[in-house]
Formats: sequence, structure tokens, C-alpha cells
Amino acid sequence: MDVFAELKKIIEELMDIKDRNITPETLLIQDLGAESIDLLELAVTINSRFKIAVRDDEIFLTRFRLYSAEAKQQGEDTMHYIAGKYPFLAKDRIADIMAHIKEGPQLKIKDLISYVTYRSQWV
Amino acid sequence: MKRRVVITAMSILSSLGHDHGEIVRSFKERKVSFERPAFDDEVVTSSVREFNIRDYTGPLKEGRYLNRGSQFAVASAIAAIKDSGCKKDDLVEAGLFVGAGPNLNIGGEFPDVRGGEIDREDLQALWILRFLPNTAASVIAKLSGIHGENLTVCTACSASLQAIGEAFRKIKTGYLDRALAGGGDSRLSPGGILAYKKASTLYKGDSEPDKASRPFDCSRKGFVPGEGGAFFLLEEFEKAKERGAQIYGEICGYGSSMDACTMTAPESTGKWRRLAVLSALQEAEMSPSQIDVISTHGTGTLLNDEGEANLIDNIYIGCQPQVIALKSWIGHAASACGAMELALSLICMQENYVPEIRNLKDPCRGEIKFLRDGRTLPFRNCVIENFGFGGQNGALIVRRAEDV
Repeated sequence: MDVFAELKKIIEELMDIKDRNITPETLLIQDLGAESIDLLELAVTINSRFKIAVRDDEIFLTRFRLYSAEAKQQGEDTMHYIAGKYPFLAKDRIADIMAHIKEGPQLKIKDLISYVTYRSQWV
Repeated sequence: MKRRVVITAMSILSSLGHDHGEIVRSFKERKVSFERPAFDDEVVTSSVREFNIRDYTGPLKEGRYLNRGSQFAVASAIAAIKDSGCKKDDLVEAGLFVGAGPNLNIGGEFPDVRGGEIDREDLQALWILRFLPNTAASVIAKLSGIHGENLTVCTACSASLQAIGEAFRKIKTGYLDRALAGGGDSRLSPGGILAYKKASTLYKGDSEPDKASRPFDCSRKGFVPGEGGAFFLLEEFEKAKERGAQIYGEICGYGSSMDACTMTAPESTGKWRRLAVLSALQEAEMSPSQIDVISTHGTGTLLNDEGEANLIDNIYIGCQPQVIALKSWIGHAASACGAMELALSLICMQENYVPEIRNLKDPCRGEIKFLRDGRTLPFRNCVIENFGFGGQNGALIVRRAEDV
């Protein structure tokens, strides 16, 4: 299954958008204006369409800042700590998020792709 | 100085059309849209064809939470705001009063229900919103920027008339200067039809579909369900004049009451329905003889029409107002009927035209002036009356714009 194509379809339907140039780099919250209830629906839909168990705090990286603070508090390496929490994210992606997180929520469609791909392996 | 309340914007989505011109043409050319639904050939419905909420709202992600009735409410609310010329900044302190009913499309919402199991993988996370009565209000507020006093009224078939009445009172008593009020509803799904069929209130028979709705006729056999929505902007008169708003009419009086009797049938003496109408007249400082047109609830059920004929006899003795029954044109739009019938009455008032009660061949009461032929007729004061399941009674009096 083309995970990106399917996710694009789901997101277009859910957000009632057409003709937007959605790519893996699109930011869900900043570019598409997704609100918390939209993410809630997205999780339920991904769960049903891809037949995977979705944990909202994982797929939407909701605790990214919290984990980052926890790592510092515990004197651990932030990258290593976050990679342990979000094993579906590549190290360079984690570094990228850390670099831009002050600009607002960094959740991109490619993160959803990573999560779905990772989770699908465990079905 | 007494505060007065005027209607400065209006919209309606109905089976007769969506704007003044189209609706007047439908009245005069007798174009109605009664049909037998595909899922039940025993009953007749009147549906709104060619309706897409996005034509009014643009792309709308919240649309996923709107049942068809709520879609009519949101679309007509947005259309009324457009008609008012008000911008978001003008509406921050405005109120919002919505008449709403239940989503009875149970089978459509939960096609796999067996043994009470409704859970399924594709159920929305927030499917509850499709059933909460204030979902329409929430979406209207989000789109319009309304933040003021608000109320979602769920008093069955008098709901939207009461919503407008409550908005009127809030402005009249100074709590608000401006309020959006109306409603939308649709129960034409198999669930909705089943509900009313079991209650033995629907027309069942083999007449031509457009002959099924026949309020006040001796051969009436029940109501024909319809759907749609209508909204109004109500404003305090001086404020409306200040901004040069168009005035469609003045709301002069409102009354409501409860039968406190049976759950569905009207109370037999009509005493409490009478109270609602008399309260409206009193607030309007009008005598029954000043009412030119009565827009009846006129469902076409045996009990409602009999009770309403008694009511007319009782209140308007010797006055002979013209009596119309708009459900013979659009069917019974449940909680939205009051708003829709007010909109149609205002259109008729502007047009100096009154439409006949369709299919009325053998009137159940000879001495009442049921309108039998649509005709040109200027009129000044009109009362809208609605009576709902649960013994909910509402009456609203409007005065012609030129008289304001």
C-alpha cells in the first residue's frame, strides 16, 4: 500500500480540503490548521484504515517537548532519550524537530508515514 | 422608551426554493416537491433537492459532525448573515438562538447495529457531535464569531418559533441589541419515518404524493414530513435604523405555554394553546381583530387540525382573519417549521400574496375563512402558530415592514 497516498486521501477528506499541495513535508498543524479534534479523528481513521493500533501521544509526537525536558532533568542525552520514546523516528528527523520546535508544532505528514510503516511491521 | 425588535435579515432553504423569487414562483405556479421515498412506498415526504452546505460555507471540516438537519441550520444561518451585510466584528456581542431536534437517522448512523453493539472501526472519534442538539449552534458561532447570550431550544415542533421568540425577548428587554435566530431540521431518513409511522401521525395511503398533505380537510390522514431551515437577524429598531439596515418586519409579540397533559396529543379543550396565542396578542398590544393572516400549525393530523379549528373559532370570533397552512406546501419540517413558516409568511407579506391551503376540498369547519384560492392580498399583521409533541405551544406576531 502507498502509505503517503492513503494518508493524503484521509487528510483531504477529514479536513475538507482539495487542491492543496500536500507533500510528506506538509506540517499538519501549522500548514493545514489541524486542531486537536482533527487529530483525534485522524488517529481513529488511521487505526481503522491501516489496521494498526494507534497511540495518540506517539503518532502526534504530543510529548516531544516533555521528553526533551525529562532528558535534561535526568542528565541523559536528549537525542538518545527521544529516540527511545519514538523508535519510528530517524535520528536526523529528531534533530530536525529539535532545531525547529520553537517555531511551533513540527508534526509533518512524513512522521505519520514513519509511524504507520513502523507499526505495520508489528501487525 | 420601549424597545422594539425588527427583522433585518432572512434566509430560507425549502422545497419551494431558496430565495424570494423562486419561492413566489413556486407558490404561484403551484410547484411542490412531494414524493414517495425510495425506502417506503406507504408514506410521502417533501424533500429539499439540490442542497450542498458547502455552497454556503465553503470548505467545512466541521461538516463531518453535522447531521442533515444541522446542515440546514448552519447553511441558512450563514445565508442570513450574508443577507444582513454584517461582518464578524458586528456580531461579537450578538446572541444566537437555535431551534433543533434529535438526529433520528439511527440506521444511517449505525448501519451494523445488532444486539446493541454500535462500535465499529470507522466510527468517528466524536460521533457524539452528530447527536448533540447544540452542534449546529457551535458551528454557526465558530463561523460567524457570535459570542453573546445563546440558547438551543429543543421543544419539538415549536422549537424554532420559540427560539425566535426568546431572541425577541432578549432584545426587547435590553439584554441584547442583535441576535441570530432560527433552525434547521430533517427527519426524512428511515429512522425518522419509522418513528412517526409508529406513532400513527403520518399520512399513509395511495393518493398522488402531492395530494397527501391536506390540512383542515375532512379527509386528512396525517402529516407529510418535510425538511429545511430558516434564519433571521433580529435587531433593536433604533440600532437597525442607525446602520441603515433593511427591515423585513417587526416582531411585536410572543407567547408560549405547555399543555401539561398528554405526551403527544394536544390538550382537548385548547385552553393552553389559547394562552400562548393570547399572550402574544397581549404583548403585541393587539386585539384579535387586528390579525389579518393566521399561519396555522396545520399539520393535517386529525387531532391537531380539530384543536386548531376550535382555537381559531374561540379567539377570532367575528374577526375572520385569512387562515393559511404552509405545511400543505412544504410538509412538516419538525423543529424547523416555525422559522420556515415565518420566512414564508414574510415573503408573502412582501409580495402581497397569500397562498391557498392545498388539497382543501371539504373544510373541517365551515365558518372559518380557510384560504381556498391563492390571491393577491396586502396584509399587515400575521400570527405564526406552532404546537409540538410534549404539549409545547408557541405563537409569534409580526407586523409589516412599512408599518414599523
